Parts: sequence; structure tokens; C-alpha cells
Amino acid sequence: MVRLLLIEDDKETADEIRAELGDRGFDLDWAPNGIDGLDKARYGKAEVIIMDRMLPGMDGLTVIEALRREGMRTPVLVLSALGAVDDRVRGLRAGGDDYLTKPFAAVELLARIEALLRRPAESRDTVLRVGPLELDLIERTAKRAGRMIDLLPREFRLLEYMMRRKDQMLTRAMLLEEVWSYKFVPQTNLVDVHMGRLRRKVDRPDDLPLIHNVRGMGFILRAPV
Amino acid sequence: MHPSDFARTTTFRWTVAIAGAFVLGTLLLFGFVYWQTAAFMTSTFDDLIIGELHIIAADAPGRRLEHIDNRLRDDPRRIRLAGLFDLDGHRIAGNMESLPPGLTPDIPASAMVVRIDNRGRETENVRLVTGTLADGEVLAIGRNVDDISEIADIVRRALTLGLLPAFALAIIIGFVLSLRAHNRLSEVNRRIQHIVAGDLRERLPTRGGDDPFDQLAASVNRMLGEIEALIQQIAGISDNIAHDLRTPLTRVRIRLERGREHGGTIDELRAVADQAIAGLDQSLTIITALLRITEIEHSRRLAGFSDVRLAPLVREVGDLYDPIAEDKRVTLRVEAANEMTVHGDRDLLFEAIANLVDNAVKFTPDGGYVELALLQRGDMSIIRVSDSGPGIQESERGAVTKRFYRSDKSRCTEGLGLGLSLVAAIVKLHGFQFTINAGPGCTVEMAGKQVH
Repeated sequence: MVRLLLIEDDKETADEIRAELGDRGFDLDWAPNGIDGLDKARYGKAEVIIMDRMLPGMDGLTVIEALRREGMRTPVLVLSALGAVDDRVRGLRAGGDDYLTKPFAAVELLARIEALLRRPAESRDTVLRVGPLELDLIERTAKRAGRMIDLLPREFRLLEYMMRRKDQMLTRAMLLEEVWSYKFVPQTNLVDVHMGRLRRKVDRPDDLPLIHNVRGMGFILRAPV
Repeated sequence: MHPSDFARTTTFRWTVAIAGAFVLGTLLLFGFVYWQTAAFMTSTFDDLIIGELHIIAADAPGRRLEHIDNRLRDDPRRIRLAGLFDLDGHRIAGNMESLPPGLTPDIPASAMVVRIDNRGRETENVRLVTGTLADGEVLAIGRNVDDISEIADIVRRALTLGLLPAFALAIIIGFVLSLRAHNRLSEVNRRIQHIVAGDLRERLPTRGGDDPFDQLAASVNRMLGEIEALIQQIAGISDNIAHDLRTPLTRVRIRLERGREHGGTIDELRAVADQAIAGLDQSLTIITALLRITEIEHSRRLAGFSDVRLAPLVREVGDLYDPIAEDKRVTLRVEAANEMTVHGDRDLLFEAIANLVDNAVKFTPDGGYVELALLQRGDMSIIRVSDSGPGIQESERGAVTKRFYRSDKSRCTEGLGLGLSLVAAIVKLHGFQFTINAGPGCTVEMAGKQVH
């Protein structure tokens, strides 16, 4: 069972998150403030820490900075009611941690935790493979079972991102942030339209589908069984 | 105002200081005039007595006594002195009782001598020169210098008559000025107290003049006007927020209530929950967009500005919206041939252009077109988005950049009414110009100064 640590001062929110994550098979430890949280982060065996940004006594980001100084590399998902992505948060992202604005959908939280648990290894491969799909990062070409796929630069980046995270649920917000590096939410369903194009190129009508649209959640790239 | 407070006012202190400087300057000037005059007169006297000494010394010994007598007799103002002394210093002739000690022959000097004549003995200040004659006798010629001390007296009287009234006048003027400044300041202070107490309609008094005090008051009044307008705007915005949030929240509430009463099956309840979540998401989107606008309006991001090349930026937005336009069967034309650079924040400019295109695509009906063009006009670079949509009424053009405004025609289309306000906020931060023009459909332009 995967152990997680939740540092959140609002007990009701904490109970909801614990119930939701418990259903998904996670073992969740809870600390109500930064001091306890720091303690549990040091001596617990959490694989991912979920932390509220505004904590009584000690700011969430300060807790992370303290952990990092001690050499703790456990990935952190910061939850915040503050919408503004400031410089400190940008630094956090660069360090491989993630940031989620409150309120959030349960699927979004799950997808982010999954992503942190399965951070893609720093692979030196120049060719990515998922099932019959092949992506050559040097030649900038994509092939499916020998058939060349003609991709626009943005589609190439989208496919590369998905292939590095195969079998993972990718939400629209994650794709917007990572592939389009958008710092705002567009009013139109940009992701769906672009994903639709990519799907039509990757999955021909008589192919087994690789890109799956999970209704109300996001997209998964999965090799056919 | 208490007199002791008075001495503490800045205006009064300055007046006293300036009056003091004036007094010192006058003293120096008068002193200099006196000193120059005295020096001039002394040197004139010296020339005179040296001349006479030479004339008498050149006389034959027998003529000398007569000459001296003539000289002294012809002196109605009693300013001349002369004396002839033998080797032992005894007086032979003249009106000087004795020869003062320490004189160098032929060099004029100031000295005190005793005059003796038919009126008796009298001590006088004189310029005196002596000369030794061939037979060893000493001849002394002098001139009274009381004229010079009389000049000193005149100077002193002039000083007293002129300086004292001037000084008194300066003090009075200082007093009046500081009283006026004090009254004005206490009036300003009183009004500021009102403003601090929350009355933002209060303004500082001005006299309609052009003095620095009036200019300052006018600046402060302009600032107060701006603050008042902002606060009213904020009040208006909160009303709008309340309205735009209440609408979806009310719908959610009604749906939930009805769902609880009538939802017979799990599927029906699920449908109600889905609708409720959608309604909540809409409210959240509004809050997010609002926070974003506030963040941009208040950002001090100018430090993060750099040179931004517009052509790639415009092409990128075009690439992003091309599929969306195609899905809606709207033609998206992108023209970005000119290479232009502006000073700005790349991400924010991207967001602004994306919003304009987003709006245009959204409001253009099937079969229409949207054109995104990068143009050059003088040294301005212009990003123009035009479409064949319904356009914006002239009367509504100012209003669409206000938060939450949504043109009546577009109320039925999905949208948050925040897109153009966001663009307006970004444009304002950059100091660019934003115009909405008439035309077939709607044409909006964002113009910024080029950097070279």
C-alpha cells in the first residue's frame, strides 16, 4: 500500500481527502500543522506529501524548504487557495514538485499524485516506444507500425509528453500547464480540440485505439493488450 | 495661535534667518564704504601735507617762519597744524606744543598732538609728516582728521535709520506669512482628518492660483478623485461578482433541492449531482478569472519585461486556434510577415492575443472568417483581430472592457464576459492602446511602440 502524508489544517477537508484516497487504496497519514507535518515527513515513510500552502504556525512552502535543506527528496503536491502562481511556486515546480489550486476535482488530485509517484525516469533514449507507436526525438518523426505520422510541432510535444507518461491519467489542466505552458485557463476547450486532431492521426478507424478519452477526467495513452 | 508656537513655524524661522542675513550684508556693505572713504581721504590728506612740507622745506631759512605763520593764519576751519623744532625738540614756531615720538621722517602717520593757539590747548587726532631740514631743525606739517570720524558718524546714523525699520518690517512680514501658511495648513489638516475618517468626497482647498501650494493641493485632489473612483468601481465590481456568482449558485441550489424531492433513482440523482458540479465549476471559473485580472492590474511585473518578437507570438496563437476555428467552420487567416519587437511580458501578450482570437472565433457564425494580422503604422506595431461576427455596438464599446460586461447579443453564447477586461488590463499594464473599431463585424486593435 502506498503511504501518503497530508498536511492540512482544516479537519473536514482532511477527512474528505482521506476518504477519497482511502477508496483508491492509499494509506494516508495526517498532520494538522507545519510542525507536526515536518516531524511526520522526516520519520514517516510517505512517498508523496500533500500539503496545504497556508498552515498555522509555519507556511507550507517553508516546510518544503526545510525538508529540502535536510536532503529529503520526497515529492510534494502543494494545495493552495491562492490562485496566483508566484516566483516561489515556480521554483517549486522546477524542483519537480506540483501545485494545485483549491478547490479541485478529486480526479485532478489523484492524477497529480499518480504523476508524482511515477515521475518519468531521466531516460537517455532518443526513441520512445509505446506498443506499435514509435517517436524519434532526434529525427522528430512519429511512426505507428511502420506508418509515418505527420505531426505539427505542438502535436509532437503533446505525444512525447503522453508517451513519457503512458498508462497515466492526464487531466486537461496538466496538459495545459506542461505542454502549452499556459498560465491561464482558456475559455475554449483547447485541449479537447487539439487532442482530437492528434487522436485522428494516431488512431486510424481500423486501428486499436491508443489514446483514450476518460469522460470527465482526462486522457490516457495505453498500449493495446 | 499662541505666540510661542509662532516662533516654531518654519515660515517664521526662515523670515528671521533672511532678515538676519540682510542685516549682516548691510553691515558689511556700509563698513566697506566707510573703510574705502576713510582710506581715500587719508591718502588725500597725506599728499597734501607732504606737498606743503616740501614747499616750506625748500624756502630760504628766513622765509620759513613767515610761511608757517601765513599758513596757520589762513585756516578758518582750524584744520591745519605746523611746527618747527630745534635739535633738542624745542618749539621754534607753529601751533604744535611738541613733536610726538616714534615718527619716521617723510612718512605720514596718524598721531595725537596738542594744538596751542589764542584759544588755548586742545588735543587732536591728526595725520602728520616730519622732515629734517639742512640746519638740523625738524619741520612737522599736520592735518586734522575729525572729518573722517564724522563720516563714520554719518554711516552709523544711516545704518540706524535704515536698518532698524527694515528689520522690523521683515519680522512683521514673516509673522503675517507664517500666520497665513499656518491657517492654510490647519485647514488642510482639518480636511485630511475628514478623509482619514472615511469621507472620500472631501477635497483640499485651492485658491485657483498657480503657487506651489495650490499645485500640491490640486495633485492631492486628483489623487483623491482617482481613489474615490477606484473605490466606487470596486463597490460596483463586488455587486457584479455577487450577481454573477449568485446566478449559477441559485441554479445549483434549486437543482439540488428538486433532486432531493423528486430524484427516485440513483441515475437521476447522479444527473442532478453532475449539473450541480457544472454550476459550481462555472462559479469557480468566474472567481479564477477575476483573480487573474486583479493579479495583472496590480502586478509590478514591469521588472519582468523584455523585448518580445511579435511575429512568432502571433503565429503561435494562430496555430493554437486554427483547429478550433476549423471545427467551427470559421476561416482563421494569420498574417505576420513583418518582424516587429515591443517591450513587454511575453506570456501576458500571448494571453491577450489568445483572448482576442478566442472571442472572435466564439462570436463568428459558421462560414465566417477571423483575421489575425500584425501591422506596422509609423513606429507603432499593431495586432489586429477582425471577424465577420455580429460586431459590437458603438454605445457598448467602452463598456465591454469593464469586468463582467457581456453584450446583450452574446448573452446566449457561452462566455464569462471577462475576456476583454483581461485584455484591457494587460494592455494598460504595457501602456499600449486598445481600440474597438466599426467595420464589417468587429475589429479590435492593440497598438504598442516598437523598440529598435
